[in-house]
Amino acid sequence: MRPHWKELLDWIKPEKFTAKDIERMEGLQPGEYEIHNEKLNNFLLEAREVFIRMGISSMLRSGDLAVGIYTADGDIVNSSTGTIIHTMTTLLPIKFVVKNWLDEPTVGIKEGDIFYSNEALYGGVHNPDQMAFMPVFNDGELIAWVAAVTHEPETGGTEAGGMVLTAKSRHYEGMKLSPIKIGENYQVRADMIEMMENFISRAPRMQTIDVKARCAACDRLRLRIQQLAQEKGNEFMRGLFCTTIRVAEEGAKKVISKWHDGTFRGVLFHDSVAGQDHLQRIYCTVRKEGEQVTFDFKGTSPENDAGSSHGFPHTLATATGMYLFPYPFHSLPFNAGSFTPFEWIVPEGCLWNPSPEAAVSNSGYMTWTVFGVLFPIFAKIIFTNDRKTVTGTTAGCGGGNIIAGINQYGVPVADIMAYPLNSAGQGARSDMDGTDSFGFAGIAAGSRGPDAEDVENEYPLLHLFQKHIRDGGGHGKYRGGTGVQSAYIVHHVPWLAYNCITAESKLVMSQGVFGGYPPSPFPGIDVRNTDIWEKMANAENDIPSDTVEMLDRKALKGDYVIQSEARPTKVLMNGDIFLASALGGGGYGDVLERDPLMVIKDLQKDLISHWAAKNVYHIAYDPDTLVLDLDKTAELRQNEREERKMRGLKPEDFKKEWAKLKPPEEVLDLYGSWPDAEKVRDVIRI
Amino acid sequence: MGKKIQITEYLDIDLEKELWCCNRCGRELISARENYKDGCLIYGRDPRTVYDPIIDAPYNFAHDPEWVRFVEFYCPDCGVMVECEMLALGHPITHDIELDVDKLKEKYLVTE
Repeated sequence: MRPHWKELLDWIKPEKFTAKDIERMEGLQPGEYEIHNEKLNNFLLEAREVFIRMGISSMLRSGDLAVGIYTADGDIVNSSTGTIIHTMTTLLPIKFVVKNWLDEPTVGIKEGDIFYSNEALYGGVHNPDQMAFMPVFNDGELIAWVAAVTHEPETGGTEAGGMVLTAKSRHYEGMKLSPIKIGENYQVRADMIEMMENFISRAPRMQTIDVKARCAACDRLRLRIQQLAQEKGNEFMRGLFCTTIRVAEEGAKKVISKWHDGTFRGVLFHDSVAGQDHLQRIYCTVRKEGEQVTFDFKGTSPENDAGSSHGFPHTLATATGMYLFPYPFHSLPFNAGSFTPFEWIVPEGCLWNPSPEAAVSNSGYMTWTVFGVLFPIFAKIIFTNDRKTVTGTTAGCGGGNIIAGINQYGVPVADIMAYPLNSAGQGARSDMDGTDSFGFAGIAAGSRGPDAEDVENEYPLLHLFQKHIRDGGGHGKYRGGTGVQSAYIVHHVPWLAYNCITAESKLVMSQGVFGGYPPSPFPGIDVRNTDIWEKMANAENDIPSDTVEMLDRKALKGDYVIQSEARPTKVLMNGDIFLASALGGGGYGDVLERDPLMVIKDLQKDLISHWAAKNVYHIAYDPDTLVLDLDKTAELRQNEREERKMRGLKPEDFKKEWAKLKPPEEVLDLYGSWPDAEKVRDVIRI
Repeated sequence: MGKKIQITEYLDIDLEKELWCCNRCGRELISARENYKDGCLIYGRDPRTVYDPIIDAPYNFAHDPEWVRFVEFYCPDCGVMVECEMLALGHPITHDIELDVDKLKEKYLVTE
């Protein structure tokens, strides 16, 4: 009964319109679609607010969530502007329920039912993503579904936080609920809550409150749709839903038809599996012909038995929407109609199509590899006709820093630090710099970093500093937005468990476009056995306020551990410090074309270093007054252009020397064959 | 000079000649049916020359040059950086843009 991966891919696309659907769409009077589609948007915004106000986990409160409206068949009609990937993945468990439980007498689908799921094999991203969904009946007829989903930062897996970095198979990853009924007659069953609390014993309070928040968001949406159906009738509602899907489909085709036909390729590298250094490759070929686009991921590294950095094909497919919806499809509704023109080829056995037994709990992070590779590819597809939409990669990856333990009130907690997660830099655009600390790359709008005071109120942490990273954004004619550096001190409690599921310390996954540079990496840093409390008690004025300052001056006594950002679970003691980072976005264009005044402004804001102004941007200025010397700058830049022509090799000469090089063998063990990343060994899972 | 269409910030295609050209100086690079990168000068840059590592440690604030380089493609005439691709050391250069030149000509030469 568990759906095959090919079936899940098929379900992403909307069901074909029936003759009755077309009749219903034609029944809408002029203006009715526009007015009532806007009503649906307002319903979604209201449900989203209910969701945020009722939940407690930090990602939920940050708006890192989605609520959606679906047809009776399960096709997504529209969604809140939360986490884009959830917009599409939530439809899959609904379709599973419609297909399997509608006529199943031991389950069935009745008014007031509440379903729940957090199993990637049935359509989610990974098991931290928990969704509640409800059927919407009017006059006894199933007319729609509603869903509310957000990431729960605990699953009861072998590591706290739900994204089990060291999981070697699905059996390490904690609670995984296939689509299951958890409520009837508009009430959540107490035995189901007890079951979940039993699984999520590291943070049972958070689990229960967030489950109820999901259900409340669903129910508000259910109520509004029922009210509208009472007013307008079921046929109207079905016609409205189909029209929304058709508008998106027609809009997508119109946008796509402007793009160039051809074949476009991109490659992206990933530097860590299970907290250890490993090089992996994501290879993507996009073929565009007429109104049809195919994403082909042949050439992507094989699956492995080392960690959880995998994902299933439907997750990859929906992750392509994380690029498409905020950028070329920014004016279209978030629904399945937009995906009609696309096909996805994901070879079995690659890390994006592993065995169903594989660990995939870190697949949320791995979605960065998908939309990350698409930015530079699509820059080349869309530039001619949609130049303003081109950006460097906005995959400045937010930090996946997780804490778990007993908080200052004696309550067991586990959560992800949502500020560094939601404050990555945006890719530079074709006409301006990327926004600094703009948000979470997978969200079109609405994600926010929680207030530092709130974090300190809920968790046993004190912020030492939280600020932009200097030289964090990719350099270019237009600079990628920079990200954030946060330093947390363990406070109030004797100890706190900690891990980090994001990496990018040897290289970053973001690329620039058209000569723009990728953003900079950031190491993982812990400082143990510090004297921070003594320094604060003595009001000493040399307490560091920046990572570089901390490492340079070492004003704090302690044991400095500098490692990969990806760190399996460890225990920090009171007064220990861990650092988190959100990386920047990719740059756009040749650094030598950057307006020198913009370089000066970046220096004034401390967003770039004097080192970069001199060595990368080649500007001449007085370092004390920041007064530019434009003539000297022009001379320096012309000299650099001449230098390029001197050091640049003819392609045949470059390739000959380049082919002799190779990354260290010890980091290629999970890569596959070099350089094509073909499978070289079988993976046995027990 | 034939009719040109801009494909990227720094690359045009001369549709009549079927050539990639530099958008900044007009230099004819290579056939539009080939990889434009084969018409450029190429340099594999150590990432530490773009990002200061700041600390002398295996993990720092620059990409590891033993893992990746920034492969830069320059116009042979004006020296503008047409593209920059971060590649694993020795990894083949991608053929990132392979346009259907006939369709492009059909679209822009016939309809306009």
